[in-house]
Amino acid sequence: MSSGPMIYLVDDDKDFLEMEKAILAHGGYRTRCFSESREALEALGSAAGIERPALVVTDLMMKSLDAGFTFARALRSDPRFADIPMIIVSAVARQKGFDFRPRTAEDLAAMNAEAFFDKPVSPAALLARVKELVG
Amino acid sequence: MSEPAGARILVVDDELGVREGCRKILASEGYEVLTAGDGKAGLAQLVERGPFAVLLVDLQMPRMSGLELIREARIRDPDIVPIIITAHATLDTAVEGTRQGAYSYIPKPFTPDELLLAIKNGLERRALSLEARRLREEREKRLLEVAAERSRSTTIIAAMTDGILVINSEKLVVLRNNATARILPDCAHRPIPFPLDEIESADVREIVNIVLDSPGGFMILSRQIPLGAFTYMVNVSPIIEPGGETSGAVAVFSDVTELKKLDTAKSMFVSLVAHEVKSPLAATEGWLNLVLSGMLKADPAEERHMLERALLRVRTLRGMVNELISLTAIQTGNFSLKRAPVAVAEVLAEVMEIHREKAEERRISVEISDCAAGAHVLADREALSMICSNLVENAIKYSCDDGRVLVRIGREGIYVAVSVKDEGIGMSPEDSAKVFEEFYRARNEQTAGIPGTGLGLSLVKRLTELHEGTVSVSSEPGKGSEFTVRLPSMQPSA
Repeated sequence: MSSGPMIYLVDDDKDFLEMEKAILAHGGYRTRCFSESREALEALGSAAGIERPALVVTDLMMKSLDAGFTFARALRSDPRFADIPMIIVSAVARQKGFDFRPRTAEDLAAMNAEAFFDKPVSPAALLARVKELVG
Repeated sequence: MSEPAGARILVVDDELGVREGCRKILASEGYEVLTAGDGKAGLAQLVERGPFAVLLVDLQMPRMSGLELIREARIRDPDIVPIIITAHATLDTAVEGTRQGAYSYIPKPFTPDELLLAIKNGLERRALSLEARRLREEREKRLLEVAAERSRSTTIIAAMTDGILVINSEKLVVLRNNATARILPDCAHRPIPFPLDEIESADVREIVNIVLDSPGGFMILSRQIPLGAFTYMVNVSPIIEPGGETSGAVAVFSDVTELKKLDTAKSMFVSLVAHEVKSPLAATEGWLNLVLSGMLKADPAEERHMLERALLRVRTLRGMVNELISLTAIQTGNFSLKRAPVAVAEVLAEVMEIHREKAEERRISVEISDCAAGAHVLADREALSMICSNLVENAIKYSCDDGRVLVRIGREGIYVAVSVKDEGIGMSPEDSAKVFEEFYRARNEQTAGIPGTGLGLSLVKRLTELHEGTVSVSSEPGKGSEFTVRLPSMQPSA
């Protein structure tokens, strides 16, 4: 149960971290939770070469409206992590006149993400997508 | 304006025969006739019994000559018609008489018909001159009215807080009021008229051009245009001449900056509420999904844990809705306080009892020290309870396990002060400054797992202010926070 690929979870809402952790544990994945993208980046830096996550799932709106985007961009622009697939989840993809939801593959690429989900994520849908991306 | 048949005539002659003769002839024709025997007496009659239409006057009289009397009479009534009667008619005296304003001349002796004809002509002359005067006065009055009207309009336009620009069909600005100098500072010092093209704002030029160039001329345009730090609603209407052609346009600038701010604030609040509602709803839905997904292999303990988490979020949501209702009621003035003397220590004891269990779960001690025994405030008991409950609940929530919360009641001048101090995670100065704002929550690693609506402290502030009180906070990250509410104290006997 706890020998599968490692997945990093980033969300400032503890409930979503726990939820995602439970769902992914069910799929046989190991998880590490972070309440801030900064901590996840630090952990990535120090874990480089030792244990790279196979996937990162991040919330979109944390301290700032687009913290998730900034995080994704930071990851993509670092050659050490550029190939780690990324899933962005958000409860507020439509907010303050913005609509963040990607409609096309280009939209997703522009977000530096492989998938995007509205919160709450359906457990089956999340697991299916993770399986596609990580195996 | 012709004189009535009974026109008044003054006959001045030192010869009684002439005076009386004239009087009789004229009175028989229906004129009202007064007489005087010399110039001075004539003048007295003019002053006391005037006005007269015709002054029939002899030239040579004792005390005051006829010419002098004519002069005096005309000073008092420029429309009086003086007619000279004299036996010593010479060309010179006639000329002099005319120069003094005499209308005509009857040489003595004269027949009644000659007299009546002269009087009739004189009266016609008087009627004409009165009519001319009336017309002249009317014209002057009109001119004054027009001038007053123009100055009134100018004053009104100048005093308006809305900016006004008038642009003619040649696209020259021909009028601007004082307010436009503030609204369009770039053309404040251009001498009138100046070309429309010299106005800096392309939006303003465009909207005026559209109206001036519109073929029918009946187009009225409104547009919100930001100018400097302000937003104006600019209304442009064509000026249509009676013939139907457009002779120019009027642009009126109304400041809608505050309205726009309110509108933005309203949208932001709605958006905040939507966000704050959506997160707990999504979390609740997520937990329920997970339980129903059948992934948990019927582990009752895990299921129970997840349902409890969902319940917690729903409760938070309900609390938030309640707080929103109270806040809205306060903001719209629909929150009525039922104020009565309340013993502060009593309310605090109840509040601490409500939160005792929560504190005990995490082995947090909550102590009270009452340094203002018997302190009463004139307050709505429920509101005071809400205030205290929010502070105590926060202190417990943001304390570390095994921590300590100290509640103190004291007196500060005319106030009763309730301070609630914890030794918990504390806040940065930035967070402290914003902590009373609606929906503001300190977001960091330590607060991530703590449920809250971000409305509790803004409610505390509003409720306290409704009681003419104040609330303040001092806090230090890692050391803890102390919130103090001060309410005007009252004598328990009152």
